[in-house]
Amino acid sequence: MNITVKIGNAGFQNPVTVASGTFGHSEKYYNLQEVKKLGAIIPKTVTLKAQEGNPPPRIAETPSGMLNAIGLENPGADRFIEDKLPALKKIGVPLVISILGHTDEEFRILAEKFNAVGGISALELNLSCPNLGKKVLVAQDPEATCRVVRLVKDISKYPVIAKLSPNVTDIVTIAKTAEEAGADALSLINTFSGMVIDIKTRKSVLGNVTGGLSGPAIRPMAVYMVYKTAKEVKIPIIAMGGIMTAEDALQYIIAGATMVAVGTANFINPQAPLDVLNGIKAYMKKNKIEDIKEIIGNILT
Amino acid sequence: MKKLQDTYNVVSNEQLCAKFYRLCIDAKPVALAARPGQFIHIRVRNSLEPFFRRPFSIYRAKRHVEILYEVIGTGTQVLASKKKGDILDVLGPVGTPFCLPPKGIKHVVMIAGGVGAAPFLFLSDVLKERRYQMTLLYGGRTKGHVFNMEEFKKNGCKIFTSTDDGSVGVKGRVAVLFSKIDPDPGKTFIYTCGPRPMMASVQDFAREHELQGQASCEEVMACGLGACLGCSIKTAKGYKTVCGDGPAFDLHELIFES
Ligand SMILES: Cc1cc2nc3c(=O)[nH]c(=O)nc-3n(C[C@H](O)[C@H](O)[C@H](O)COP(=O)(O)OP(=O)(O)OC[C@H]3O[C@@H](n4cnc5c(N)ncnc54)[C@H](O)[C@@H]3O)c2cc1C
Ligand SMILES: Cc1cc2nc3c(=O)[nH]c(=O)nc-3n(C[C@H](O)[C@H](O)[C@H](O)COP(=O)(O)O)c2cc1C
Ligand code: FES
Repeated sequence: MNITVKIGNAGFQNPVTVASGTFGHSEKYYNLQEVKKLGAIIPKTVTLKAQEGNPPPRIAETPSGMLNAIGLENPGADRFIEDKLPALKKIGVPLVISILGHTDEEFRILAEKFNAVGGISALELNLSCPNLGKKVLVAQDPEATCRVVRLVKDISKYPVIAKLSPNVTDIVTIAKTAEEAGADALSLINTFSGMVIDIKTRKSVLGNVTGGLSGPAIRPMAVYMVYKTAKEVKIPIIAMGGIMTAEDALQYIIAGATMVAVGTANFINPQAPLDVLNGIKAYMKKNKIEDIKEIIGNILT
Repeated sequence: MKKLQDTYNVVSNEQLCAKFYRLCIDAKPVALAARPGQFIHIRVRNSLEPFFRRPFSIYRAKRHVEILYEVIGTGTQVLASKKKGDILDVLGPVGTPFCLPPKGIKHVVMIAGGVGAAPFLFLSDVLKERRYQMTLLYGGRTKGHVFNMEEFKKNGCKIFTSTDDGSVGVKGRVAVLFSKIDPDPGKTFIYTCGPRPMMASVQDFAREHELQGQASCEEVMACGLGACLGCSIKTAKGYKTVCGDGPAFDLHELIFES
């Protein structure tokens, strides 16, 4: 059975990865043999300077999902490279580093910093974080998407993945823009903007007022976006949004995703990424599928 | 290696008073690893509703693991329906436990509001071994929030109780019991757990008398493993996660805002 996949020139032993911002617990929870089974690891987004994150409360439970406004808390690129990257590299699983610049210049510096450290399989550009109080995200603006992707692509020695926001009128337009600008792959999708109000206090339950919705609640919308986009672009898609089980992941693969990322599910069932991987293999065996590529985008209509 | 998450059988689940229940789980590996102040993160049932796991302080860790809980919403309602032999998905023990008092201190005062008493039975089990004198100041809303504290007594705790409505013990918030504390910083150390305004009043009292202490905090949690950075609270040293840096914090490090 062949479950290896490729993004640009980077190869992965299987299509299962973890979504940025949802997998900070590998040393605490996993033993090395287990975590080595993942296709790739995508750590939390790194910004140029350290960010302390948003005021609490930062999360809320919602029907079949959650709302978060973490605010990209991270130690900044230099400390990430010094303190966190060595342990991540030691795991021995391909690393996809998620970066976010608040300006074009910051994206350029970040790309250069990661060029210099080596040992990374790809860069994921977080163009879609809805939590920084800006009116328009890069991923909501085709021109800005094109500019940032091209800028990083020009200097990066790694494949470049554009992570898009679902908070747009037509995700296919943005996806095509990113492809034309040179993106090697797309990550679909980041969280949907949302909010929950406490009627007793008449305040939002989140310190940041608004947040991003994730989990099974968003899955059908995300599957739809992957399906629509996959028909229109040639580059591979890393799909995410409410994947809890292999059945969920297979929907995305059939809709056209080359890789799948487990996000929020890590918080409910830390075993989820491995369950998803085992379930995909079991499905292929049962259905006599020799190569995962046979089912990628192979939806019957 | 022991798995941090596993399924275990319910041994018993009994109602202690109108509001509180006590659940006993046959989770020996968790009991062996646990330290006072840590918690377990329970998936109350295998469904999307409720979606998150639910965190509970470890009330006791002997042969089994026990929690003391109040029914307030769906998650705790589901817990209350568990019967002997039912299977429960438990992650833990997790979190930073309480520190012991500094050398020289003989007397600890535990100040609890409602189910905030939960981490203190386990703490008193450990402190008893080390021959500390212990006092428990317990504040409940009404008599429905007051349960039998025989086991605290057995551990040698002196107990004082208050209720908001005066139905049991002294009338008023737990602060009415602060007069029971020997406010000598060389002798007394404080542990507290309960609603934020209560812990803020404990912090004020401790500051005034220069007493050292620890507080066990709560915040909504998703992962319980330090992964999502969702349970952060404000401290004098910046944001810290309740599930990883806490639940036990230095009392004076916390910033309580109204
Ligand atoms: C580290 C830690 C240890 C805890 N230990 C214990 C324990 O030992 N015993 C115990 O009974 N509880 C404990 N809790 C609180 C417990 O986790 C919640 O009561 C429980 O998650 C509620 O779930 P639910 O589905 O029943 O209620 P939900 O439906 O989630 O909530 C019902 C209502 O209560 C409010 N609420 C929810 N959680 C809290 C909270 N933590 N504080 C105040 N209001 C809240 C909600 O906003 C909502 O209005 C602990 C919490 C933490 C973070
Ligand atoms: C708590 C939390 C933190 C997240 N942090 C990031 C982040 O730092 N960078 C990013 O690109 N996406 C972040 N995301 C979005 C996820 O990577 C993912 O795109 C989204 O949650 C949808 O997948 P899911 O439903 O499986 O979680 C975060 C999501 C959650 C729930
Ligand atoms: S609950 Fe996820 S970091 Fe604490």
